[in-house]
Amino acid sequence: MQSESARVTTAREAGFRVQYPNSKKRSVKIIALDSGTARVVYDIAREPWNGAVFFTSLSFDAAGSPGDADGTTMHAWLGDLAGRMIELVGEVATADFVVVLASAGADAQSVSVIAEACAAYSKSLLALVVPGKNTSEADIARSLSHLRPYARMLVVASDADYVAAMLTALRA
Amino acid sequence: MLRKEQNDYLCQTGPGTPMGDMFRCYWMPALLSEELPENDCPPVRVKLMGERLLAVRDSEGKLGLIDEFCAHRGVSLWFGRNEECGLRCPYHGWKYDVTGQCVDVPSESVESGYAKKIKLKNYPLIEKGGVLWTYMGAPERQPAEPEWEFCNVPLNQTYMSKRLQENNWLQAMEGGIDSSHVSFLHRGDLSNDPLFKGAAGNKYHMSDFKPVFEVVENEGGLLIGARRNAEDDQYYWRITPWVMPCYTGVPPRGDHPIHGHFWVPIDDESCWAWSYDYHPTRPLTEKERAAMADGKGIHVKNIPGTYRPLANKDNDYLIDRAGQKAGRTFSGVEGIGMQDASLQESMGPICDRARENLVSTDNGIIMARHRLLRAARALAEKGVIPPGVDPEHHKVRQAALLLKRDIPYKDGAKEALKAKKGVSQTSV
Ligand code: FES
Ligand SMILES: [Fe+2]
Repeated sequence: MQSESARVTTAREAGFRVQYPNSKKRSVKIIALDSGTARVVYDIAREPWNGAVFFTSLSFDAAGSPGDADGTTMHAWLGDLAGRMIELVGEVATADFVVVLASAGADAQSVSVIAEACAAYSKSLLALVVPGKNTSEADIARSLSHLRPYARMLVVASDADYVAAMLTALRA
Repeated sequence: MLRKEQNDYLCQTGPGTPMGDMFRCYWMPALLSEELPENDCPPVRVKLMGERLLAVRDSEGKLGLIDEFCAHRGVSLWFGRNEECGLRCPYHGWKYDVTGQCVDVPSESVESGYAKKIKLKNYPLIEKGGVLWTYMGAPERQPAEPEWEFCNVPLNQTYMSKRLQENNWLQAMEGGIDSSHVSFLHRGDLSNDPLFKGAAGNKYHMSDFKPVFEVVENEGGLLIGARRNAEDDQYYWRITPWVMPCYTGVPPRGDHPIHGHFWVPIDDESCWAWSYDYHPTRPLTEKERAAMADGKGIHVKNIPGTYRPLANKDNDYLIDRAGQKAGRTFSGVEGIGMQDASLQESMGPICDRARENLVSTDNGIIMARHRLLRAARALAEKGVIPPGVDPEHHKVRQAALLLKRDIPYKDGAKEALKAKKGVSQTSV
């Protein structure tokens, strides 16, 4: 008799795989760390997404102190597409995971503030370096060194297209 | 998640499909040299990218890969007589040389020239590093020969095996890119397998199941770095190269031979998993060779006389639930290769990626798909030769090393990631 492993892996049997949804809508927060990636965000935010929320800027108080270690009194705000300032901590708290975008070579050190909030709420932080037309290896190395201590996954995108492709792949 | 059209685009490699056209830009492993062991040996049926072919070695040792079926009335030339520099169809005696040229049609006189009018499709077949390679694309675009390091070291330093995997090539290859599964699926084997155990780096692996990943592009494809914390302000990095379209390297362990794979489409529902093992500077020991032949490391034990694994879907992969419970294996299946194959085959003949839920650590896979799609489109629309065709792209090495925490691995490991004649691998 044919084994169940053999039967179940036929094309015919694949047709009987349960088609009910196997996941719920998730909440991905995408944050541009500089003006270059803010433009990328403006662009892709126009496409239909599955609950993804996009931010084009990050600001925090002049002391440079993001607040208490538990993140609850952090003084940092995200700018959304409509120009509103929204508290970072609240956004991270309701996220499933957080994506930050950095232009290759641009200053990305503010990622530490977001990372602190992510750590306080145990959220994964995914960082994407977006290369430009004339990006050098040194630009990429600079971005990586800023992001490396904080990201669970650090990716140098092949091109700006990759941002949307990745978010789609992640059902953002 | 991939939409169905994108999934079909990536998975289908038959003639005339965009990915099929892309695969036909490369030299692909077609057979092991051992399959055509001597002049005038029996021909071997080979199916690649949806084409049924026949590999032949003639009386003078010339190699060829030709259409499997006789141009007369379509019987398989596998039944043919291989003699006097040609393969003669046993039905009515038509004879072909290794280029597929018909050289004799017994019913017609030589003077009539009829035989000259008959020619089977053929592809070049070359031998390198114990492997017979073919190129199935347009002759005018045939690239220079492959330069993978394993096929450039002396034969006593290298070992190659292949096994049938009964699912689409892409889900198999994605397993080679996805280094985050190693801490789970292959957990038991790091300390037990003779071809892995004892490496100093294994301790970092076993003490940290949540590596941090860094994916960067490389000329021929990608580098996927997985890092774990190590002593003295260092990271332990394991770097997996992927070279387009279907080569993956496994980061090394200690002084064990280096290994990796090719994932070559047979048709849309099966592929060959090729597994190499080599040492850049020394012959493989008798013990290592015996372990490889015994299905240890990344190799598997095949049914004698075939390249189908002994543990396969017909026997439920010989799953051992007691072993799973006791922790000898994580999934109950014995051996790294079959642990991977059993799970990948269970995805179905062609994985339905519309239902998957990827996470951030799957970015290696997401990026590889993205690059494959882009390269196939660039080839179809603008004739751009895809990455990985240039033999320079083959000269990449996998690496395992300790680096200071502030050093990017692409820089810190720059030399370690290059294949260098006579220089040992960088490995802890
Ligand atoms: S946990 Fe990855 S496939 Fe199930
Ligand atoms: Fe594996």
